[in-house]
Amino acid sequence: MNDAIPEAARALIGVKKTRQCEVTRRDIRRFAQAIGATDRVHYDEDYARTTRHGGIVAPPLFCQSLTYEDVPPSQLPADGSPLELFVPIPAQRAVGGGSEYTIQRLVRAGETITVTSQLKDLYTKQGKSGLLYMVVVETLFADATGAPVAAETATYIKRV
Amino acid sequence: MSVSFATLQAPAAIPELRLTPDHTQIFMFSAATWNRHHIHYSKDAALAEGLPDVVVQRALIGNLFARLLTDWLGDAGEIRELGWKVTQSAVPGRELTVSGTATAIESRTNGRDIRCELAITDAQGRAIASGHALLGVAS
Repeated sequence: MNDAIPEAARALIGVKKTRQCEVTRRDIRRFAQAIGATDRVHYDEDYARTTRHGGIVAPPLFCQSLTYEDVPPSQLPADGSPLELFVPIPAQRAVGGGSEYTIQRLVRAGETITVTSQLKDLYTKQGKSGLLYMVVVETLFADATGAPVAAETATYIKRV
Repeated sequence: MSVSFATLQAPAAIPELRLTPDHTQIFMFSAATWNRHHIHYSKDAALAEGLPDVVVQRALIGNLFARLLTDWLGDAGEIRELGWKVTQSAVPGRELTVSGTATAIESRTNGRDIRCELAITDAQGRAIASGHALLGVAS
């Protein structure tokens, strides 16, 4: 059911944007605190060296913290929602729907991660209170050698 | 109590996790992910959009599932895939129960693959999210 998707929005599907993010111990520590993870392997280098990881590693879904581009607020939509889910459709009230996340390995402090995101799909669904626009965003995370470390396909639901 | 993943048989219940996301956690998660969406910090904005309160982020819901799994696995293995769907908005100050079951276990060359079904419910037993995961444990 894609008749309701404007051509200008459909044209954005498959357009890739790439940027690079350096990951610091502080980034890992703050993400770990935000999710309530207490494992010292995210915080304590001396301890982490004694584990099978051999050093500080990030929690499994850490790359979520690299997903949204850190543009100034003036470039965001009025509701402050991430640019990645902004598409010209007649519905802008957004909530998160779901996610498929794959993990090749845990991220380490000091790494530079290449983030590539694209609008993967746009479709509509009939909801209880009207038409729902499903915005599907794929984000790939790769290390300095180009090897994938993680990938996420997130679905956002937008209502009129 | 540590689990013997070498001999574990499906179905096996994963010890559940009870937690209560609060405003501070939602705020910290928005900051850590640089998510400026107003439904995560402004109750007025959230209500105007028809939501019950500021809402727990989709991405944070995934991390609650990840915590359930990493607490269970300990050093024995890791999460390879995690998928989830939010079925109802979670709001601050409400206790959530995160639960899961290992539904299938397959041996491979260097270990075992464990497939899991996951759920988050609120104190009234309403479904907040469902999920699935693939875990890898070393032999």
